[in-house]
Amino acid sequence: MKNLCALALLAAVALPGCANFPSPTAEPEALPVTSDNNAVTALAESARQDAAAGRLNAAAANLERALRIEPRNAMLWHELARVNLHQGQPNEAAQFATKSNTFAGDNAALRASNWRLIGQARTQSGDQAGAESAFERAAQFERQR
Amino acid sequence: MRRPKLRKYLRPRTLLLAGAALLAALAIYVAYLDFTIRTQFEGKRWALPARVYASPLELYPGKKISAAQLSEELAVLNYRHGTLDEPGTYLRDRESIELVSRPFAFWDGAQPALRLAIAFSGKQISKIDNLETGQALPLVRLDPLLIGGIYPAHNEDRVLVKLDEVPPILIKALTAVEDRKFYEHHGVDPRGIARALWTNLRAGDAVQGGSTLTQQLVKNFYLTSDRTLRRKITEAIMALLLDAHYGKDEILEAYINEIYLGQDGNRAIHGFGLAAQYYFDRPLHQLTLSQAALLVGLVKGPSYYDPRRHPDRALTRRNLVLTELADQHAITNAEYLGAKTLPLEVATRAPMGTSPYPAFLALVHRQLRSDYSDTDLRSEGLRIFTTLDPHVQRTAEQALTTRLSTLEKQRRIPANSLEGAIVVTGSENGEVLAVVGGRRSRYEGFNRALDAVRQIGSLIKPAVYLTALSQPDKYTLTTRLDDSPLVWTEPGVKEWAPQNYDREFHGEVELRTALAESYNVSTARLGLALGLPAIIENAHRLGVERNLPPYGSTLLGTIGLTPFEVTQMYQTLASGGFRTPLRAIREVLTPEGAPLKRYSLAVTQAVDPAAVYLTTTALQHVVQSGTATGLGAYLPADINVAGKTGTTDDLRDSWFAGFTGDKLAVVWVGRDDNQTTNLTGAAGALTVWGQMMAQLDPEPLVPAMPESIELVRIDTKTGLRADGGCDGAIEIPYIRGSAPTEPAPCSGHSPVEKIKNWFRRLFER
Repeated sequence: MKNLCALALLAAVALPGCANFPSPTAEPEALPVTSDNNAVTALAESARQDAAAGRLNAAAANLERALRIEPRNAMLWHELARVNLHQGQPNEAAQFATKSNTFAGDNAALRASNWRLIGQARTQSGDQAGAESAFERAAQFERQR
Repeated sequence: MRRPKLRKYLRPRTLLLAGAALLAALAIYVAYLDFTIRTQFEGKRWALPARVYASPLELYPGKKISAAQLSEELAVLNYRHGTLDEPGTYLRDRESIELVSRPFAFWDGAQPALRLAIAFSGKQISKIDNLETGQALPLVRLDPLLIGGIYPAHNEDRVLVKLDEVPPILIKALTAVEDRKFYEHHGVDPRGIARALWTNLRAGDAVQGGSTLTQQLVKNFYLTSDRTLRRKITEAIMALLLDAHYGKDEILEAYINEIYLGQDGNRAIHGFGLAAQYYFDRPLHQLTLSQAALLVGLVKGPSYYDPRRHPDRALTRRNLVLTELADQHAITNAEYLGAKTLPLEVATRAPMGTSPYPAFLALVHRQLRSDYSDTDLRSEGLRIFTTLDPHVQRTAEQALTTRLSTLEKQRRIPANSLEGAIVVTGSENGEVLAVVGGRRSRYEGFNRALDAVRQIGSLIKPAVYLTALSQPDKYTLTTRLDDSPLVWTEPGVKEWAPQNYDREFHGEVELRTALAESYNVSTARLGLALGLPAIIENAHRLGVERNLPPYGSTLLGTIGLTPFEVTQMYQTLASGGFRTPLRAIREVLTPEGAPLKRYSLAVTQAVDPAAVYLTTTALQHVVQSGTATGLGAYLPADINVAGKTGTTDDLRDSWFAGFTGDKLAVVWVGRDDNQTTNLTGAAGALTVWGQMMAQLDPEPLVPAMPESIELVRIDTKTGLRADGGCDGAIEIPYIRGSAPTEPAPCSGHSPVEKIKNWFRRLFER
């Protein structure tokens, strides 16, 4: 039963990501960037609009600008990973997601999302086995939520 | 016999032929000149230097900056205090600043001039309001500081302008003084020469020049400056040709952009566009009558009439230009009188030469050269946006110069014998915030930050301890190391017997203490046990690119690295085990502002984050209770700096590398002749680091704890597991499963304690 669940989740996550790539709307859920700093949330919002409009370079630049203000904001690193994935840079995307995890603390939803992203990145670069183990980790964190 | 021959030559027909040949030769020469001027004039593209900008100051509520600090930054950006009448002005109260920002075309679009009210509470911004719309703004950036250029041959610098951007009064003044009949003559003006002679005789001074603007342009464009008759004639022919081919406006525009108007150190100021900025710090189209008159006056002798060096001469010259304009009724008498009484109004900014930050610019230039040819950099007018933080750069420069002078005085070191270098970066993103290449940071010269390869001593040790801590089954922060005498022999290498700095041996020491106290003997023994290949491998993972020799002495840092290379190594530790290439450039734009290339942030997990976490904890221990406790004199303990001192044999090199929550900095102090400095890392470089960092108001370092780490209470006396019964026990991080399991004697679980408790219970009954 557990395995079935994981498989279903894997399919739900991996398939839309693959089928609609690189449309930025393909991702099932986007977690909001939270911060006490309005400058950070404003930049994250601009980045989101840029990404939605296909201006991926601008989106990454805005996220880097936000990271200069809050270098340890796990959500910003996650967003940067997401943008890199859409830019067709799976290795960079996986690294940023890993970096995001180091700041994610006990935010299981974010960790799950990061592992999903790592899975997608590995799929993109042809590492199917690696992708599956990443989706497995994602499922584990998903259950912790 | 000869006569008939001579006569033959003098025959009219022969003469005619000779004349024709001569004419043909002249025609060919003229055609050649014609070809030259046409190809060159039409293909004329001025080599435009790449312009290099610092990182813009970002303002947002919550930003740590006081009103005093912001007004200092505004002054550096040449904002004028006291009015709000145009972009680049500001007013200041105690707790608020109002300003009109300058419009600027950033990488991601243009930001118009904004009227802002910035409120502060204490040392941070509390609110930013747009004065025009009344809206609160989450974030604005100021126009970035221009920090230099990468210049073409002869360091010619210019800002190209179109004729319609030139104030009409400047053109009137130019023609009035240099070439009255510019719009009437055909390139040369014989009457003009006569009149110039007469005017100059009457004035007793060379008020007017005889050359037309066209001739002056030709001279600047095509000819060398030798003053021969032949050159004069060539110049005249070329001027006639230029005039025949091109309109007056085209010629004038070329002249306005070409003419030499001043010298700023090694940088040559060409064209009125740049001159307006250089002398008045404003765009050309905003010049007033008196300012335009001064610039026109400079044409005759930019060095002789230099308004900064010879203000009296410049004032006289300017007023002469004004008189000339009034005489020709180009301005009214009221305008004349008004302008004549004005001061020179030259911007006081210290001339900067090619850059005030040559050491940083050298880094930018190097990083650009991997993507652009030097010719493109020196001619295409690229706009380069860098990571330099002017505030950090100034602070670093000041800390180095003042500390070195103080150290020389306090320790009776010969004055000016010490040198130093600093690199400061953002600890998570690897952006280079400052580079100081030596004490005299304004001058280009030996760039010690990038080019001084010096032994790094104990700065290598984190690579040894990281390797150990990556093996949690064998090593933890509390593992006992052996610091007793060690003699190491290996084939082909001299017998090696490392010594501690204090020339003593310390028996059994905790691993973290061995690093904190920088014990050489226990570190060497640890390193030899781990094996040099594993340690060298980790040094490379951390970012050291140089080959490291697999000798025992490498463990104690007898290898040479530049301060910049050391920074790259510590960057990986500061960013939690992610290698983050040090970047000095963010974006490159075309002169028109179109994005060309973005240098994006990149991270690569290079070493195990848990081992990095433990190493960082050990490096914090260095500052809390090891060789770097001296930092306490500069920074509060709660910043929790992680750092390492480095000292080399005979005290030749004094190093400190360390990071806070937001910044990483590496400081080297030593002598160029590699003689002793009499300074340890703690006595020298650490004090520079401390003074600098204290002024940068750093964020506390709280490394993100990986999941695989657990905190365990440890009895410091025995290094065993403690509980509530142990006084002075401390929490130490371990990779899960590696913490000591044996209870300390002080804890309720130890056999000794159990017996004691049994007796206690017995007697209490």
